[in-house]
Amino acid sequence: MSRYILKRMGMMILTLLLISVLVFFLMHAIPGGPFTAQRELPPEVEAALNEKYNLDASLVEQLIDYLGGLLKGDLGPSIKYPGMRVNDFIREGFPVSGRLGLITILFVLAASIPLGIVAALKNGKWQDVLTMLLATIGVTIPSFVIATLLMYVFSYKLGWLPAFGFDSPLGYILPVIAMGGYAMSFLARLMRSSLLEVMGQDYIRTARAKGLTEYKVVVRHALRNALIPVITILGPTVAALLTGSFVIEKIFALPGMGKHFVTSITNRDYTTILGITIFYATFLVVMIFVVDMFYVLIDPRIKYE
Amino acid sequence: MNNSNVISDNLWEELEYSQEKSETLALKHRSYSGDVWFRFRHKPASLLGLFLIFFIILFAVFGPMLSPHSYEKQELSFVNIPPVMNVFIMGSDYIYVTKNLKPIHVARDGKLIAGLPRIKEDLSKKMTSYDFNGRPVFVDFSVQPLELIDPDGNRVTETTRVHNKTYLLGSDKLGRDLLTRLMIGARISLLVAFIAALTNLIIGILYGGISAYAGGNTDNIMMRIVDVVSTIPLTLYVILIMVILPGDTGILSIIIALGSVYWVNMARVVRGQILTLKEQDYVHGAKIMGTTTWNILTRHLIPNAMGPIIVTVTMLIPSAIFIEAFMSFIGLGVSPPMASWGTMCNDALEALRTNPYQLFAPSLAICLTMFGFNFVGDGLRDALDPKLKGR
Repeated sequence: MSRYILKRMGMMILTLLLISVLVFFLMHAIPGGPFTAQRELPPEVEAALNEKYNLDASLVEQLIDYLGGLLKGDLGPSIKYPGMRVNDFIREGFPVSGRLGLITILFVLAASIPLGIVAALKNGKWQDVLTMLLATIGVTIPSFVIATLLMYVFSYKLGWLPAFGFDSPLGYILPVIAMGGYAMSFLARLMRSSLLEVMGQDYIRTARAKGLTEYKVVVRHALRNALIPVITILGPTVAALLTGSFVIEKIFALPGMGKHFVTSITNRDYTTILGITIFYATFLVVMIFVVDMFYVLIDPRIKYE
Repeated sequence: MNNSNVISDNLWEELEYSQEKSETLALKHRSYSGDVWFRFRHKPASLLGLFLIFFIILFAVFGPMLSPHSYEKQELSFVNIPPVMNVFIMGSDYIYVTKNLKPIHVARDGKLIAGLPRIKEDLSKKMTSYDFNGRPVFVDFSVQPLELIDPDGNRVTETTRVHNKTYLLGSDKLGRDLLTRLMIGARISLLVAFIAALTNLIIGILYGGISAYAGGNTDNIMMRIVDVVSTIPLTLYVILIMVILPGDTGILSIIIALGSVYWVNMARVVRGQILTLKEQDYVHGAKIMGTTTWNILTRHLIPNAMGPIIVTVTMLIPSAIFIEAFMSFIGLGVSPPMASWGTMCNDALEALRTNPYQLFAPSLAICLTMFGFNFVGDGLRDALDPKLKGR
């Protein structure tokens, strides 16, 4: 077990290293320096800027320098905002995105798993049909379409909820629904199909034959196995939701990480793009690792050598 | 006694024995593809999806040819005109006053004729006069809702609703026909769908197939590459490719980005399939007979994994369409004057309060396309693998 964890951790670090190096070289493959602009800079200024950001060193030196910074958790300076570091953007934006993401995850879990269970237990009845209909709609319609339509109906037409910002707690409702809609529908479908499959297994019949109550059969025996595929998907979903969906942040004008990512793209702020990408990738890889570890807890059949 | 339980006497009669009849099948024989088609068409949603996709293809291919408008031509006097207008009745014609307080001469049949030329603006009285067939009419915006005053000085009280016959879905903020732009957007979405399907079918299948068949360290390394590729957000690839390819309209960047990294999911699916298939006896048989690896892969393994492959493709196509719309929506996709459903949604968002109709058409188009592909995907999955039905 501990050997497996060590092996997985080694893999994780290797993947992260590969990603950092790849993104670094991709960024430097872009023609023209970060200071190439409409108005040409005087050569002295450009030389000074290059020296300040260590751009005149060789590529390998820059890479080693950058990776050294990464080890210390330093993502480097922002090229477009003097004095700002990429860490500042993340420190500023992540709490906002993270809080929204956390609420969304709670909403998604609280809604999707019970819905999926109800749909599976009432297979073929109206509860099932209704849940599957909602889930199909949620999986099909893009989040930005849901977001804009919700905003139009609830903010402009009915005037019940604020259209942007987090000035009141009500401001969370629309972004959470728009952001979590896809994950919720997807998880509900997955939960349903996985539970349906488990309910057809022999050991469920055995449990019923023993005379267990239906509640115990479902909760103690079926759910535990049915949750495994759901947990597999949960890792990447949690990472994606916590790091923020920038389109939702853009529509509802929320000051999260997504905002910094989009502005850094339009500003061609290379170091910020690089930093936020690496932050996102790290988050994702760590989440997948955590999920893999969770498997062992929930399913004793899985053994790692 | 229940009537249905009575068996009529003629059923008890002995049947004539014949050699030929004993071998006939009661059911009509169906080939595998015929069987799939039978299951597919017995699901209304799948047929609806197929119909939707067919309609969108027609719309994209022939629409722009039939449309009297061009997708990029700007008609600045007809800006932000909704598909259904509230008009004032002026004699035999109508006058529509836009949200920018510009009166427009509208014919009885709903065709837009021209914007009225302005004569004089009186800001103190909040009234502007316009030339209507040689006589002045006044737009009074001192009151809410605004009023139109005819040449004799009377308020025009008669109003009606008329459908916009010039721009069937209305015009956007630069006076471009929304319907024509929607058609061009459909072309872009279908192009993206086609590219996504193509890369998945070629790169994804071969990559996954080779990785699984080779096994061992080759498999390990190839799958780690897939892991790395799938961890970097697609957004970043598009940005990088856009910067490297200056001066293109944006669609090329999306296509190259999709083409270079969008096959990873397919590679994983194919790998999983091939891993189980390659231990089957017929593969060992082929190997013993000296079949080359390439032939085993392309003649034996991949055709047998075709079911999950087709299902994955139909599931990946809508998400490729979504990625394009999403990229265009956040301003990374196609650049103006090219139209994409994503950019149209984004443009509409700016004026959501005043011109919501601009949002509905592209949103509906995206939703219908996604529904179409998803329904077909679901139907195909059930048809190809009945075990998975309803999952």
